[in-house]
Amino acid sequence: MSESYRIRVRGHLTDRWATAFDGFTLTREPDGSTALTGSVVDQSALHGLLRQLADLGLPLLSVTPVDSHTTS
Amino acid sequence: MDGPLLETKLHQPRRRPGAVTRPRLSQLLDAGLSARLTLVCAPAGFGKTTAVAQWLGDRSGVAWVSLDEHDDEGSFWAYLCAALHRATGLTTEALPLLPADGGLRLLLSDLEALPGQEVVVVLDDYHAVAGTEVHEGLAFLLEHLPEHLHVLLATRADPPLPLSRLRVQGELVELRAADLRFTADEARTYLADVMGLSLPPESVTALAERTEGWAAALQLAGLSLQGRGDSADAVAAFAGDDRFVVDYLVDEVLARQPDEVRDFLLQTAVLTRMTGPLCDAVTGRTTGAAQLEALDRANLFVVPLDDRRQWYRYHHLFRDMLLTHLTDPAPLHLRASAWLEDSGDLPTAVEHALAAHDQERAADLMERVFAQMAKERREPEFAPWVASVPEEVLARRPVLAVWMVGALTLVSRFDTVEARLDEVERRVQAVDGRWPEVPPEGLVVRDLDGYRTMPAMVQMYRSALALSRGDLPSTVARARRALQLSPEGDHQVRASSRALEGLAAWATGDLASAEAAYTAATVDLRAAGYLADVLGLATTLADLRRAQGRLAEAERAFRNALEMTRDAPGAPLRGTADMHVGLADLLLDRGDRAGAADELARAEALGEHKGLPKNPYRARLLRARLTDDHDTALALVDEAERLYNSDYSPHVAPVPAVRARLHLRFGEVRAAQAWARARSLTADDELNYVQEYEHITLARIFLASGESVAAGGLLRRLAEAAEAGGRYGTLVEILVLQALARGSSLDRAVRLAEGEGLVSVFTDEGEPVQRLLRQLPPTPFVARLLRTERPAPPRGLPEPLSEREMDVLRLLVSDLDGPDIARTLHVSLNTMRTHTRSIFRKLDVTSRRAAVTRATELALL
Repeated sequence: MSESYRIRVRGHLTDRWATAFDGFTLTREPDGSTALTGSVVDQSALHGLLRQLADLGLPLLSVTPVDSHTTS
Repeated sequence: MDGPLLETKLHQPRRRPGAVTRPRLSQLLDAGLSARLTLVCAPAGFGKTTAVAQWLGDRSGVAWVSLDEHDDEGSFWAYLCAALHRATGLTTEALPLLPADGGLRLLLSDLEALPGQEVVVVLDDYHAVAGTEVHEGLAFLLEHLPEHLHVLLATRADPPLPLSRLRVQGELVELRAADLRFTADEARTYLADVMGLSLPPESVTALAERTEGWAAALQLAGLSLQGRGDSADAVAAFAGDDRFVVDYLVDEVLARQPDEVRDFLLQTAVLTRMTGPLCDAVTGRTTGAAQLEALDRANLFVVPLDDRRQWYRYHHLFRDMLLTHLTDPAPLHLRASAWLEDSGDLPTAVEHALAAHDQERAADLMERVFAQMAKERREPEFAPWVASVPEEVLARRPVLAVWMVGALTLVSRFDTVEARLDEVERRVQAVDGRWPEVPPEGLVVRDLDGYRTMPAMVQMYRSALALSRGDLPSTVARARRALQLSPEGDHQVRASSRALEGLAAWATGDLASAEAAYTAATVDLRAAGYLADVLGLATTLADLRRAQGRLAEAERAFRNALEMTRDAPGAPLRGTADMHVGLADLLLDRGDRAGAADELARAEALGEHKGLPKNPYRARLLRARLTDDHDTALALVDEAERLYNSDYSPHVAPVPAVRARLHLRFGEVRAAQAWARARSLTADDELNYVQEYEHITLARIFLASGESVAAGGLLRRLAEAAEAGGRYGTLVEILVLQALARGSSLDRAVRLAEGEGLVSVFTDEGEPVQRLLRQLPPTPFVARLLRTERPAPPRGLPEPLSEREMDVLRLLVSDLDGPDIARTLHVSLNTMRTHTRSIFRKLDVTSRRAAVTRATELALL
């Protein structure tokens, strides 16, 4: 069962980054943050993704589970 | 890991000429020299490595390791030891034992012994290391770190080490993101001195704020502003933009590079390590080496990996950013893979083929590299690779599929093994385990030599699988089939199969078959050049022969192994200590305590690191056997239990049972009874070989508690089983106990024991057995058994030493050599030797050292 998450980072990311976060939708918010929304297969995949964000130096603002029925 | 170490990972980055110095950080790092651990912890691009390299400068005694995601517990310790060797000249034998406690202690004592120089161990990119063993091992080192050593970790995430404890003890100094951020002043100095920019103060402040002092961002900002007339406007535009700071700046920097440089950066970003020709292969140009140098000069995020500046890598963060610009990296990866293949670096070529999603190519390369890696014992490295090859690719590649099984069995993952082997045999249309001469149509085989060894390997893995399930008959049957199918010269498979067969036979108590299999395995291992394994098998062979009552043959196993490995490269090999411990046990069986003490001393002189996994516990059990002191003996047995490692052998003499016997020796019957209860052992148990030692121990407990009827019944059944299995050594012990239970004759036991000189099995029992021995005709052997009494060593000698012999004996204790002793006593060397021989005979010893020990025991001196 996949789980859906919305991950907010500080700074706007261009659409080019969508390939780096395969399967995630990028939304640039007016407050200067970017929301990545999508699903991961399990907790390990989520941690891998967070680590990838950390490796890129992206400041993490929040991680929120979202109802999977509304996203996919 | 036995693979080659990469020089570049031990390279300490040099201070960049003209780089900005940050005294603030150096002062903080200096404080670390009075603590055990310095933690430099911040996200990517915060200048951790640079700060540490600048602080270290030309300091000596720096052991530097750059870690990456390929490092596991094996390679971590190898790199650490190599770096320590470079920095301090340290030579240590600890590596094969790491990260076990013994290895860590040995490493610590070797470090302790270094001349007083301060040593800084730097582990850069520590976050990349996976595996809790590394963290646990490092925590242990930190806890016991010698005064003059300091560890510095540069990492993106806090490591799982006892940080709060170290913090409380004042043993932790931290440099975190907040410390590493450039202050406005530092930013100004940096932009002016390093980047050659003269910016208005408000632009500097704006940059420092927008980048939040993030080193990588500041550097990118500087690069993007170089040669621009409108720098104030550019800064203002940057400050007013919401884009992720590094993303924005990388775009700016790239946009301002000439096309050729930009293309080079983007194309070579696929490489984790770069050298000129490799870059040329990827870019299709010929200017790679010059480009790398130019990038280095221009501060464009390349890190030299050696002093000759042949290998470089991009700064991690910069490379990650570049990669997001690549839309189709696959062709670049393929070109890199091809170059690496030609240059012989097949493992890295595999990585790039996988990154290009070219699984067929990756599979080709893997198949070619596996046989070599297996020879180097690097099979564990296969597992993550093969997991990345899709099943449908594996299905067409029988050789690769079998290697994958090998990788899985090595990490004890047996769940899919059988299905995989069945599938491989079905695909190749194996008949009774035999594979067709030529691979069937539609299958891919790149390694034809490998193809020919696969049928035997399949059977060998089936045998290992059966053993893991405890199915001993199948273990033997499959191992024998593997042997039939193995090509003549394939010593590795043959030795493994025979060892599996031997192991299974041993566990069922068929010692004759086990012994034959292990003897054959020894021949193959020797032919294959695996001399260290020859030493390991010698202990097994000797154990088997000892149970069979063949002490002379057991001794030969040890002596042959010693002989065989004496002149091997790196001798004395690991496992040499085991041979001396084993010989000591045999000498004790023969009642030669002094000789045994001698062999033990030899083993101890070699040190724990010359022992195989079993040796630490076996050596302690031997010492427990040698001592007459109750507390010492029990403490040794406790240690042995902690250090117990069967190394895949069946548990034929479990340490708790040894302890129970020790309790009996010291009259602590209740403690021994408690053990038997805890093990739920009864006189009516069905007997099986693996529990034989425990059941004999139980019979001893019955005897000690006066339950001779229970003892008698159990011993009768044990005697039958031992006799049927040809375990005559064990049988002698059972017969001695039977005689004690019934007060009957020792006649048969003595007859069985005489040929091989089994002594201790009688003499360890003390007066009750002595009484029974006195009822036998006084043959020389019986006389010897009566003479060699234990536990109270006799005060006198059957044949006392003459006055002159006593004179010689007193000098044997000294350091004088033979001619000196002769001179001191004013006798000829020959006369002196005659006296010595006579002393040895009377003391029943064979060496000067043993004579001294014996004479001390007998209070002659």
